[in-house]
Amino acid sequence: MTDMVLANRRMSPASKRALGIFARYSTIIGLLAMIIAFSILSPKAFPTLGNFTNVINQASLAMIIAGGLTMAVIVGELDLSIGFAASLHGILVTGLIVRNEMPIPVAIVIILLAGALIGLANGLIVTKIRVNSVIATLGVGTILTGLAFAYSGGAPIVAGVPEAFLQLSLGRWLFGVPNNIVIMALVLGGLWILVEKSAIGQEIQAVGGNASAARLTGINVDRIKILGFVISGICAALTGILLASRLGSGTTSAADSYLLTAFAAVFLGSATLRDGEFHIIGTFVGALIIAFGFNGLNIFGAPTYSQYVFQGAILIVAVGLSSLGRQLAEN
Amino acid sequence: MFDTNSHAVASDALPFLKAAGIRKAFGGAQALKGVSLELCPGEVHGLVGANGAGKSTLIRILAGLVQADSGDISLDGKPVTIDSPHQASALGMSFIHQDLALVPTMTVLENIMLGTPKRTWLGLVDWPAIARDVTPIAERVGLHAALDTKVRHLSTAESWLVSICRALVHKARLIVMDEPTASLSVGESERLFAIIKHLSASGVAVLYVSHRLDEILRLCRRVSVFRDGASIACLEGHELSRQALVEAIVGHRETVSAPIARRKVTGAPLLSVAGLARHPKVNGVSFTLHEGEVLGIGGLVGSGRSELARLIYGADRIDAGSMALAGKPFAPRHSAQAWRAGIGLVPEERRSEGLLLTRSIAFNLSLANLASLTFSPALPFISAGKRNALARDMVRRLAIKTAGINAPVGRLSGGNQQKVVIGRWLKREPRILILDEPTRGVDIGARAEIHRLIRGLVANGMAVLVISSEPDELPDLADRVIVMADGRIVSTLEGENITRAAIVAASYSVGGDA
Repeated sequence: MTDMVLANRRMSPASKRALGIFARYSTIIGLLAMIIAFSILSPKAFPTLGNFTNVINQASLAMIIAGGLTMAVIVGELDLSIGFAASLHGILVTGLIVRNEMPIPVAIVIILLAGALIGLANGLIVTKIRVNSVIATLGVGTILTGLAFAYSGGAPIVAGVPEAFLQLSLGRWLFGVPNNIVIMALVLGGLWILVEKSAIGQEIQAVGGNASAARLTGINVDRIKILGFVISGICAALTGILLASRLGSGTTSAADSYLLTAFAAVFLGSATLRDGEFHIIGTFVGALIIAFGFNGLNIFGAPTYSQYVFQGAILIVAVGLSSLGRQLAEN
Repeated sequence: MFDTNSHAVASDALPFLKAAGIRKAFGGAQALKGVSLELCPGEVHGLVGANGAGKSTLIRILAGLVQADSGDISLDGKPVTIDSPHQASALGMSFIHQDLALVPTMTVLENIMLGTPKRTWLGLVDWPAIARDVTPIAERVGLHAALDTKVRHLSTAESWLVSICRALVHKARLIVMDEPTASLSVGESERLFAIIKHLSASGVAVLYVSHRLDEILRLCRRVSVFRDGASIACLEGHELSRQALVEAIVGHRETVSAPIARRKVTGAPLLSVAGLARHPKVNGVSFTLHEGEVLGIGGLVGSGRSELARLIYGADRIDAGSMALAGKPFAPRHSAQAWRAGIGLVPEERRSEGLLLTRSIAFNLSLANLASLTFSPALPFISAGKRNALARDMVRRLAIKTAGINAPVGRLSGGNQQKVVIGRWLKREPRILILDEPTRGVDIGARAEIHRLIRGLVANGMAVLVISSEPDELPDLADRVIVMADGRIVSTLEGENITRAAIVAASYSVGGDA
């Protein structure tokens, strides 16, 4: 990395531009290279519509939670509570349906509101009490884990989960497209419009780009940051609900690992097409890279530990690319 | 023509904005002790005062960034309270701050519309309609950059135009400009003045805050003077003169700096630069800096002066050329090598590059001198006693005005912040000190002090390289001046030839040839 930075300073404008283009498209090139390589190595199992649908279906939950996280990072904060929150929401939604015999739609709405509430709490702690967001959301996330254990007693809620709830995630209600993919497309599409096209999206970008400038132009910076956390919280809740539906149970810690996946997707995304700026399409591409990577590892029967190595490595590569993009943008 | 027009508007009109008896204390310090200000529609009103006189505090109150402890502000005769920047904007006040408040990662158009974009019925931004509204305004102020350019690619002057556009798009009745020409070249300043007159003629009031009295006298019909947090005078008509302003600012003490006794350079060559280049900003620069010399580098903003300084300081890579320091080849690979060789750089952006604003004066002063502040080489911990002694020594030597050495640097005025940055290097006793815009945004008194300080340094054999865009600064300060344009030296001036006119003429010489 240091050598790269030094090399960068010595470079001619032309090669700097070339490196800039490489940084911007490297993630997409990497994704395509991976798909091509897997297709050649495993022509029967990998490049099929069934497998691709399956990969994106699997990745949809990570994409939704990463989409929410993107909102938090665009406004310049981090949200480490999302994985723990999603685990809690998965337990709560099953609990409401199984133990309290609540109608499924009602339970879902309640959980989404709970997600918003957790986001609101994160946002208020960060903006009003001025706790660093890493600490604030780590604290909140840890509390949520405690609550999840308290509610479930540590045992998964499995018995009596109605088939209708399972169909939420497993069904293919729209032209045979898996529901997860449809929901993911709606969420990411909505977030993309919000950030890139809406008036409030301008405020969101301004707060992330230069908070003091945003404040001087009369933007309510705190409110925008809170909004980022609330959206992140809602997306975490949605992921928790869909995961519980897919697993057919509410399990403590089931969604914890989404935290790392989401971060890797978000940072890979920031190095995609733009120079180190977070954006929704980038996050989508980032999540795809991770999903295909895991899929490839599975197809080739790589041992379980390799998945951790892959995930850790990709997180570092992602942040490295993102940082390289920013350096090039500044020069 | 503009003049008569704007005067007619101003004299017919009654004040639309009145601030009276504004008081504000920060901690124990009374920043404002009851100041007042009146503005008429279309008036260009000057606001002057030494650093720390309370100008910025009043502006921050009008902008809704801080609230006054007491006092009345009324708009069109109705009392208003301004409790947020949003409200200030809604009341028709627009502020162009010294540290430009733009978002570098967003486009020109997005920055102009920041905070109040026009929406379609779906809540989406109506970019086509916005572009239609903004384009004529951008043309009016002479903003030629494409509206979809990201602001980080713009020059400082263009960023100013973006801010002015923003004010006009938001239909501001008052635009407050804080040291607008501090980072503009002469030509860009002229364009700004034309725009200000144009604004005034169309009924927009401008509150023009500046240390540059020539500009104030040229642009403003009325000038308010603050001193030590109080309104000292509001001068207009025949009472308005340079002498009157200086007296009001400093309080009847004559402190206009006398021109220096310029000496013939006699010291040995210390730094020789030959054909130094880093494209596209620096394209082959050669000069020699002597011991005991103040060498000024003049030229327009963007002519490659700061970039040249960064090359000498090892902050950027050299494409071509060579340097020799005291006769030995010198090719710093990074800044640390340069400062070990005895070169110090005081950057232009002192707030972002030079200082840790939240940390104390003592901390900031000790940063460049850590090795000398340890108990001993064997016990490498910072001695608070040594650190404080250094800080007290520098505060005294540089006459830094502060409550104490533990006060955060962010609370000091611009001039005093600059002295801290300079002071940081003095303990190291560098052989060469590079100062980039050392008196930018600094008041007359502090400027004279900084100049005296620089002369004192070279008297002891140090060599100083001063980069300046202030037209009057180099004639007052430098023994020799090189003028840069387009990354090359276009003129070298010595002795009596160092005049404002010669520097300005040389600055534009390349443009004329092309």
